[in-house]
Amino acid sequence: MIGIELLTGILLACILITFALGAPVGLALGGIAMGVGYMTWGDGLFNVIPTTLEDTHFSFILLAIPLYIYMGQLLTRSGIGDAMFNASQLIIGKVRGSLAISVIVVCSMIGAMVGIIGAGIMTSGSIALRPMLERGYDKRLALGVIMAGGGLGILIPPSIPMIMFASATQNSVGRMFIGALVPAAISIVCLIAYVVITCKLNPKKAPLDPPPEVEPTVKEKLLTARDGGLALLLIVAVLGSIIMGIATPTESGAIGVVGAILLAIFFKRFKVRMVKNAGMQAAMLVSVAMWIIFGATVFSNFHLLMGVQNMVASFTQDLGLPPMMVIIMFQIIMLLLGFIIDEFIIVLMCAPIFTPIAVSLGFDPIWFGVLMILNIEIAVQTPPYGFALFYLKGIAPPGITMLDIYRSVTPFVLIKLMVLIIVMFNPDLVTWLPNLVMN
Amino acid sequence: HAADHNWRFANLYGRGTAFGEVYEDLAKNIETMSDGRIKVQVLYSGEGVGTSGILGAVKTGLVTMGAPFQSMHAGELPAGVVEIGLPGGTDDAGDLLTLFHERGWDEVLTKAYGSQGLVWLDPYIQPPVYIITKKPINSVEDFKGLKIRAPGAYGKFLRNLGASPVSLAWSEIYTSLSTGVIDGSIGSNMIDHRDGNHVEVAKYMYRLPLAGAQVLPIIVNNKAWNKLTPDLKAIVKAATTVHAQEQLVKSRKWESEAVAEMEAKGLQWSPEPSAADKEAWAAAGAGLWDEYAAADPYSKELIEILRAEK
Amino acid sequence: MLQSAIRRYCLAVHALVALIGKSVSLVMPALAFVVAFEVFSRYFLNKPTIWAYDLSLFMFGYIAALGGAYAQQRRAHINVDILYNKVPPRVRSVFNILSFILAIFFMAIVLQMSIGKFEEAIEFNYRRQSEWAPHMHHYWIMMAVASVLLILQLSSDVLEEAVHLVTGKHIIDRSEYEEETVE
Ligand code: NA
Ligand code: NA
Repeated sequence: MIGIELLTGILLACILITFALGAPVGLALGGIAMGVGYMTWGDGLFNVIPTTLEDTHFSFILLAIPLYIYMGQLLTRSGIGDAMFNASQLIIGKVRGSLAISVIVVCSMIGAMVGIIGAGIMTSGSIALRPMLERGYDKRLALGVIMAGGGLGILIPPSIPMIMFASATQNSVGRMFIGALVPAAISIVCLIAYVVITCKLNPKKAPLDPPPEVEPTVKEKLLTARDGGLALLLIVAVLGSIIMGIATPTESGAIGVVGAILLAIFFKRFKVRMVKNAGMQAAMLVSVAMWIIFGATVFSNFHLLMGVQNMVASFTQDLGLPPMMVIIMFQIIMLLLGFIIDEFIIVLMCAPIFTPIAVSLGFDPIWFGVLMILNIEIAVQTPPYGFALFYLKGIAPPGITMLDIYRSVTPFVLIKLMVLIIVMFNPDLVTWLPNLVMN
Repeated sequence: HAADHNWRFANLYGRGTAFGEVYEDLAKNIETMSDGRIKVQVLYSGEGVGTSGILGAVKTGLVTMGAPFQSMHAGELPAGVVEIGLPGGTDDAGDLLTLFHERGWDEVLTKAYGSQGLVWLDPYIQPPVYIITKKPINSVEDFKGLKIRAPGAYGKFLRNLGASPVSLAWSEIYTSLSTGVIDGSIGSNMIDHRDGNHVEVAKYMYRLPLAGAQVLPIIVNNKAWNKLTPDLKAIVKAATTVHAQEQLVKSRKWESEAVAEMEAKGLQWSPEPSAADKEAWAAAGAGLWDEYAAADPYSKELIEILRAEK
Repeated sequence: MLQSAIRRYCLAVHALVALIGKSVSLVMPALAFVVAFEVFSRYFLNKPTIWAYDLSLFMFGYIAALGGAYAQQRRAHINVDILYNKVPPRVRSVFNILSFILAIFFMAIVLQMSIGKFEEAIEFNYRRQSEWAPHMHHYWIMMAVASVLLILQLSSDVLEEAVHLVTGKHIIDRSEYEEETVE
């Protein structure tokens, strides 16, 4: 038997080697776990596969991924997504970077529908990436906006990781949902501010639409506004179906699909071929996402069965640091874990280990939970290993390389890190609103 | 020195939770009582095996020992659902112990689990299953048309009362109660209701439990078990008996703490059910016995013993 | 001679994998319909179904698993292409051969476990734990089929890369695939 520290080192090395080879990430992670597992554990480890398969394929929470991706594909292929952005250009088109701003707003609305990162990024990416690239936006700006905006799905309620945190640490879900609102708003404002400033400093990043050869008539403008309004109405309807208790956040994706088809019929853009092609593209994206999730879960299940959680627990037991340093240390550990572990496992593993320590040091558990969510948002988009990066690569057009994606994240990771630090040193930003609303 | 046997023990509670600590105690007891010859690593919720994967994982030896929740395994080992307690069953710990140890349930279950390569060890009792609803239930009639998240046998029971059982992922219960997708939900016990924060979004607990008490086993992989010497087998069995006692005492304490905490947050009890309500409740449960007996030979044996008792 | 035999094998695998990959995408609209129907039935008819939950999960699993080979054919599985894009084409073929062999190793284990689970599912009559309690055996057959398809596709890709490594020529024209994905 080798120690867990050495094993972790070997696994990390294997990840880096297969990444360098350009291997398919999901299949390679599974292969590494099986190979290293066979040598340290024996063929008994192979039995991790059936239980992991059942856990990933029979997860109702992950069902949001196919439903929302299909909705996104239908919206973009029927031109409804474009209609939404065209209408927004009518209003703020003269502002440089306006399309990116509209995208951030749309991403926030999608974030209010979905509770997991995969659905957020892949839906936002389906609808909003192409319009930005087609208008000649800098691809790093476009990719970064999608990743940062799509990642808001777990910060804006409803959020599955928040529900998991609250239950693992016996805290209020309601307080957590409300507590995350101010940090979410700060994130959105910072993202928009970044887009405005960077476009001002570097106008090439976001070209303005060339003036039309013939000024559109009032009627044409009204039509654009109507189409955009209807598209926006679909998003409002999906949100409404959640708020009014018609559907759960997972199921609401199916409402979106039906709504997108109805709108396409209304716009006279409905074609059986369109529905079929959207289905084909969506099925491929779903499969790609799920093989990554499966392989990565096999990998992390092996690592957990070997006891990596005990390593984290014993490391954090007696840090002997001043309180705020402990909190900072926790953030660093979680960011490092983000190298090899996905969002749900980070919460399941770290919430029960870290939160009691934070509370015993006198910190507010809801504040600590929101920090954890902000941290996970960063962890999933820091290279080399991060689910947000993988999802974005899956949705991006063929010409976009992983290097483009890695490079695109830097300013956005810095913005999120800044928000994390602001919230870390101003707990009131989290606790103020729930205290106001719930007491 | 290195242990002779390295075991992994999976349960479905989170690290650091009250129940998680009871399983930790069982693991420590096995280690101390065996003088370190058996070393047990405890795996909590999400640590390598999913909640619905525990039975399969112990069966294949991926983990050596498990504390499964049989409702999750209704499709793999149907007798487990009868073992845990069909709706309308007794809540008297004494009666349950007699049923298991004197009337022969232990023999049937040893066979049932044995047929799948599992060793069935001393079961333990956990607190009952209750339903929380958004509106008060003044009589059993009020269940008619209510959408209640209740899987498997509990769903069938509620359908007999005119409710509409709904299937939902556990992590969507809170949001669904809050928006009104569902009108109520069962929790595996009061502690589960508290941990899920359900009282924030639904205020009323119905007084009659769906199942009086839940009986859960500790299971061990057959091959790993056969590698133990007779004295080690006796030690593991003794440790599970101690564990069963600890579960009984502590889970009652935690249950009352959970109820108190929820009451502090505004939990209210639906009014005391009438005699007619209680009768309708029992009838809804009794209707399930035939159905379950017909579905599986081991369930049939268990239910025949239950009937003979009456 | 050998090269044309390899080419025929690769084309046959490509055709089979594409057929199944495209067929499974038809499940997508059906999946959305099943979930939407459950919402309709529960909210408007006040009659939640007992089957939509499991049925939608089965459909999800089928799409997720069976699309894997087709995604491999289109090289759509996500990879980190930083060093990969910088090396000469023949070195890239070596990289691919190594990666795909690792993937075949993984998929062979998934295949073996899926067959084992299928036999168990038949022996013990495994079902889902829900009230509807549908059978599990078909899921494990499907997983075995998905694994075989992925192994076939990966083996075809290894051969293709090996031919490229030796001769410097591609036996499969991939340009049409890219046009298709762009559309
Ligand atoms: Na959200
Ligand atoms: Na990362």
